[in-house]
Amino acid sequence: MIKYILITGILLTGFAGAAQNKYEASTIPKELLPYASAVIRNMEITSEVKDLNTSIYKHHEVVTVLNKNGDTNAGIEIWYDKNRRIKNIKGTVYDEFGKAVSQFSERNFNDYSSYDGFSMFTDNRIKYYKPAVVNYPYTIDYEFEISSKQSLNVGDWKPITEVGTAIEKSTYTFICKPDFIIRYKQLNYAGAPKESITEKGLKTYTWEVANVKAIRSEPFGPHPEMYQPIVKVVPQKFNYLGYEGSFTNWNELGKWVYDKLLAGRATLPPATVQNIKSLTDTIKDQKLKAKAIYEYMQRKSRYVSIQVGIGGLQPFTAADVDALSYGDCKGLVNYTQALLAAADIPSYYCIVEAGDLKRDLMPDFASVAQGNHIILCLPFKNDTTWLECTRQDSPFGYLGDFTDDRRVLACTAEGGKLMRTPKYSAQESTQIRKAVLELKPDGELAGSMTTIFDGWKFDNRPVNPGDINEEIKNTKKNYGINNLEIENLQLKAVKNLKPVNNETIKFSARDYASQAGNTYYFMANLANRRTNVPREVKNRTTNVYINRGYTDIDEITYNVPEGFKLDSKPLLVNLKKPFGTFTATAVKVGNQVVYKRKLEVLDGVYPKEQYQELVDFFQAIADADNYKVALVKN
Amino acid sequence: MKKLLLLALGVVLMHTPVLASDFPFGNFTVEEMSLKAYEKDKTANAVVLNEFGKSWISSGDGIPLIHEYHIKIKIFNSKAFDKGNIEIPLYKSDNNSFERVRDIEAVTFYTDDNGGVQRLAFNASNIIRENKNKYWDVVKFAMPGLRDGCIIEYKYTIESPYTLNMKDWTFQTDIPKINSEYEVHIPGFFNFKATLVGPLKLTKNTGDLERECFQVRGSKSDCSKLVFGMADVPAFIEEDHMTSPKNFIAAIDFELNDYVDPYDGTKHVKTQTWTDIDKSLKQSDSFGSQLKKSGVFKDKLPLILTGATDSLSKARAIYAYFQKNVKCNNIYGIWSDNGVRKALDTHSGSVADINLGLVTALNAAGLNTEAVILATRDHGFINKLYPVVGGFNYVVAKVNVNNKTYLLDATEPYLPFGMLPERCLNDQGRVMSLNKPSYWIDMKASQKWARTYAMDLTLQPNGKLTGVIKNFSMGYEALSKRKAIKKFNSIDEYVENLDEKNTKLKILKAEVLNVDSLDLPLSEVYEVEINLFDNMNNNRMAFNPFFLNQISENPFKLAERTYPVDWGAQSDTKVILTMHLPEGYEIENPPKGVSLGLPNSGGRFLTAFDSQSTTFTFSHVIQLNNAIYSSDEYPYLKELFNKIIQEQKSDIIFRKKS
Repeated sequence: MIKYILITGILLTGFAGAAQNKYEASTIPKELLPYASAVIRNMEITSEVKDLNTSIYKHHEVVTVLNKNGDTNAGIEIWYDKNRRIKNIKGTVYDEFGKAVSQFSERNFNDYSSYDGFSMFTDNRIKYYKPAVVNYPYTIDYEFEISSKQSLNVGDWKPITEVGTAIEKSTYTFICKPDFIIRYKQLNYAGAPKESITEKGLKTYTWEVANVKAIRSEPFGPHPEMYQPIVKVVPQKFNYLGYEGSFTNWNELGKWVYDKLLAGRATLPPATVQNIKSLTDTIKDQKLKAKAIYEYMQRKSRYVSIQVGIGGLQPFTAADVDALSYGDCKGLVNYTQALLAAADIPSYYCIVEAGDLKRDLMPDFASVAQGNHIILCLPFKNDTTWLECTRQDSPFGYLGDFTDDRRVLACTAEGGKLMRTPKYSAQESTQIRKAVLELKPDGELAGSMTTIFDGWKFDNRPVNPGDINEEIKNTKKNYGINNLEIENLQLKAVKNLKPVNNETIKFSARDYASQAGNTYYFMANLANRRTNVPREVKNRTTNVYINRGYTDIDEITYNVPEGFKLDSKPLLVNLKKPFGTFTATAVKVGNQVVYKRKLEVLDGVYPKEQYQELVDFFQAIADADNYKVALVKN
Repeated sequence: MKKLLLLALGVVLMHTPVLASDFPFGNFTVEEMSLKAYEKDKTANAVVLNEFGKSWISSGDGIPLIHEYHIKIKIFNSKAFDKGNIEIPLYKSDNNSFERVRDIEAVTFYTDDNGGVQRLAFNASNIIRENKNKYWDVVKFAMPGLRDGCIIEYKYTIESPYTLNMKDWTFQTDIPKINSEYEVHIPGFFNFKATLVGPLKLTKNTGDLERECFQVRGSKSDCSKLVFGMADVPAFIEEDHMTSPKNFIAAIDFELNDYVDPYDGTKHVKTQTWTDIDKSLKQSDSFGSQLKKSGVFKDKLPLILTGATDSLSKARAIYAYFQKNVKCNNIYGIWSDNGVRKALDTHSGSVADINLGLVTALNAAGLNTEAVILATRDHGFINKLYPVVGGFNYVVAKVNVNNKTYLLDATEPYLPFGMLPERCLNDQGRVMSLNKPSYWIDMKASQKWARTYAMDLTLQPNGKLTGVIKNFSMGYEALSKRKAIKKFNSIDEYVENLDEKNTKLKILKAEVLNVDSLDLPLSEVYEVEINLFDNMNNNRMAFNPFFLNQISENPFKLAERTYPVDWGAQSDTKVILTMHLPEGYEIENPPKGVSLGLPNSGGRFLTAFDSQSTTFTFSHVIQLNNAIYSSDEYPYLKELFNKIIQEQKSDIIFRKKS
């Protein structure tokens, strides 16, 4: 470890000129080249907690860019704000042969507000610079330092920075005083960190990876945490922008959030309390009371993303949200909780990692870096109910695919409690479509079609449809039916505890069947054709992950003109695989062509060896979906 | 789509007393409050009840431009709640010169649960100021208390030191407006031109004289008060495949003509004639001076031109040099940013740095070259009613070699010599040379989206197809394909991906040629095996001859269009399939040839079939001969696609000879 520090010392005092050949592109081990557009030659991250109020993050990276696609690796983006200050940015660009060609420093960087197209208010800023180099390969060697006035977020280590980047060597070193206690969590990392004591008596922990090949993006790949090396470090005692605390488990973390960040922020003006009382006085059932309050909150307020104040961790007060009628997820949950409290209904402020890809909080490792959203939990006896407070149109008790089926932390007066949000199973997440249609002698198809969306598929149609012309336009885009003219569109969301969405369209489609000689051709599968098949992956490295299951059922009956017989082979496909089942049939019965299709996809993790089977499964479905009915005159 | 308003200064102005024409703040009527939908557009989520803006040049210190803005919006439902998130962008050039906003007032009216109307005033402490980047600050606030059916109203005043940049006004937005009015007061010292953009007409357009309304240090002048109004403005709805909405959205744009400095009486003529513009561009440090920097290339040219003997190969060599040696930082503009020399030294430059450098280098090599300034497609059309440089945002080179003109843009590494990127294909550009008066030229595509597929396939006894697929891509098609190929680290990886993406197709051997020879067609030759039939046990088998090139969905779904379809360039697709069947098979239903056309030779679709014993050839052609189709031509275009899709559904049936 002493050797390592010495190297850093040299680097800080001027690394250019020393041992130039290490920047030579030809010295990259050949086995690292496949799929790589850049190779990290050496990356050294150190994170040092000097005291509870000061931590220093140092980033030193040498990366060789092999072609234009690797240029993103040379783009340096540094986030900061008034509590995270950047120091000492500098770097050098080397050509293919390791000869220094230019240098850069902080003055070369552009400065932006980190407007994310999403947050209305944010105080994060970005410094960005990308050296312009026209000859490949080239190497850049740069470093910078960030000093921040806190000791809670000391940074996760995720050495694989992006797809298409290989790593020769990458290390992470955490430095602190010997009596400073940390917890760490290693994912997909074998062995323990190297621990040692520096000359100055500081304790260090070092993790290292070397010779890591470039990864490709793989369809149906799991979350990076399932297969990439990642290390998370959390100090036991910390100070976060003036809020001191300590925790070693979720219970203590939940307690800290409750006591330090939420306490005293739930007071409402007496008039609002009175409003709630008169709104709910006549309602007996606790759950119906809660529903009335939730809908009151939805009517009254809207979501505005606010990433200001203490690092986006503390909510606006309930009184503020009450006065402004807007807030972010924290503010709206805290406000709803306060409204419910006014009717004596207890609820929990819950931290969740939201997003389409399901993520659990790690049960054995508590940290604030997990979780990016807040929802509310109503702990009714044997009937736990969950509320999403940032959507004005969510049915009471419906979370949808943003926060379903994952482990969350409820922050309560008794401390944090890990809980699980409900799952929408493949069996209940259905899309059931039925249509009886008339195929006219000129090829026009007309009739009506009804589709019911359930489970997480509920959100496939708008809850509160807007402008009907706009909805008709969207509907036309949803269905790849040429010449689709919608005479009438009905969208109706039934906002029960088990909400379903209904769509009925009355439509016509000119030329749905085309004629060639005395034969009519038309697609049997009217409205649910799979055209894209996941690409094959040679030498797949990750397991197959299906995030969410579903069931699609289509039953389309075509009343066809008299005097025709089926000229194509009747459709009969039946597939059964571990990850799903598929059946499709098309038969002619009297003057009807009856088409039936059922696809069931089951969520779960499947061995990577089964991936080709999955591709074949979807290809077989695409082929079956492409089935054409050919009707020839008798 | 642009009209010069007759009403500018110089027209005899009526003298009328100044009346406050802004609507009162903080009032609402019972009708407004109870409005459930907007009568003229029942589908609107919100409607602007009234909007008023006023700009004037103040007599204050530094004669700042003052802009007042006031709007009142009825919100019918939560889909329009984003109208309650207000952003006011403010320009700044340095620490001494910047726009500022003041007097922000805002109020929300809503009907509470008891049916009473509540007034919710806005608290100024909720205003946030964001330093967005070097040139822009944004002042943001969110309106309080939004609910379905509420009315929001706000106003603010911007004080700007950029007196000569009169604020433009936009009448049309994504929600309808009942009334929108803009009032401009211009002292006689200043002379602006106003242009109405878009097809909508003004419903109010007046000009009055105001006596001695402007006074600085003893200089006095009268003002003209111009009022532009539009009532019942429909919402602007964007359509697919259109050029910039800016060409069609109703707006008033201002451009400075000339002014007299009120402090010292000196007259400053801004651009009035093309002669003036030509002169000012020529003299500008960031334009004309850059074109004279031939010295920068003195040492470089001999090396660049090594081996190039004739003029055309010299031009190509210089063009390729810029493409390879300077990376574009994607900053558009006609003015050089850091200068030609610095761009070459740092290998990085703006569009103007690169292309003005290209013009200079070509001239230095003795090739007759001029700069062409233009507006990119997303920037909108150039206003050609009167000479003005403000609308241009891009510059390319025009070189004449052997009586042939080539338009060049060196900012893109995969663009062949003589072809412009799609963004430049926008109406007309102005040719600027150092020794001739400027003139207009059409910014038309010199090449098409052109592709040819030739397939020679044999149906094997096991049901698989084997053979060779050849793809040739030209023009814009080749450009887009080269970009796609370069996203991979090597051609092998590109082919591997192609193979993986087409799950029914196995690529046994691949040859991809001319990836870096930009002037030649990109050629891809693949030896393939395709899973067509599981087996050959059936007596009759259906085969779709469009199986690799099928259009399954009509790109046009609207019944009619308001704005033209603009594709930038013509397109041309040719597919020839030659297929060999096993012995003993024949075709039951040989397809008839089809020939469909658009009016005025606007495009066509052709198929042809030919067979000899067990071999047949099926070819088809899709040509779109116009880059732009007007809304009148739209139904024909849509129907052509409908017919193509129809045609592509028919199968060819193979059967065993009995």
